[in-house]
Amino acid sequence: MPERVVTVVPEDGLHARPASNFVETASEYDIEIQVGHVDGDLVNAASMLAITGLGVTSGEDVRLVAEGAEAEAALDELERILSTPEGEG
Amino acid sequence: MLEDDIDLLLPRAHIALSGPPPDKQAAIEFLLDLVAANDRVSDRGAAFDALCERENVATTGVGMGIGIPHAKTAAVAEPSVAFARSRAGIDFDAADDEPVRLLFLILVPAVRAEEHLQILSSLSRALMHEDARETLLAADDAETVQNTVREAMD
Repeated sequence: MPERVVTVVPEDGLHARPASNFVETASEYDIEIQVGHVDGDLVNAASMLAITGLGVTSGEDVRLVAEGAEAEAALDELERILSTPEGEG
Repeated sequence: MLEDDIDLLLPRAHIALSGPPPDKQAAIEFLLDLVAANDRVSDRGAAFDALCERENVATTGVGMGIGIPHAKTAAVAEPSVAFARSRAGIDFDAADDEPVRLLFLILVPAVRAEEHLQILSSLSRALMHEDARETLLAADDAETVQNTVREAMD
């Protein structure tokens, strides 16, 4: 199953606008995408409640896992959001 | 630590089982007034501005009928949470289009950013449990709300 580990760059971490962009993008794909701390449980990447519950701060690594036809494309786009400093997205 | 502090964080005075107006902004003011009436807000205008500013960045309607407006602000001296329930539901512009029925307001002193995120994420994890949401929707008294939040945040 395609997966990768990405360092969260935005100052807010996975909160506020970056989180909103992340959830919105994950929702656009009709496949299962999960995210979590590197050593923790994975949650639904398309759920803002689940993402907020992760409490990911700037500089932390997260693990992204996707399954399905467009998995790599989805991961590319989500990685881009997590790697883009605030205001440049 | 959080679990033992629910009585301080979310005292019964901050819990309203009914009453929030159907408009999002007015509902946030309603929650803020619960905390202000308990003498915890030194500058209501500043607190409200901070909440609106955060809301303008991205909605705090996190889905599953839950809204968690939150802000860091110098207008409070201690972390404070308020709860209100809406029977009719409030349009929070949530990603899943679900009207918000369970509302939690979080206000944390500006200098305690870490605690702010910790409360927000613990509360979110607690609300992912369907039984916690069901209990909050059905609760008849403030004590049930406190106990549910306490247990779910364990």
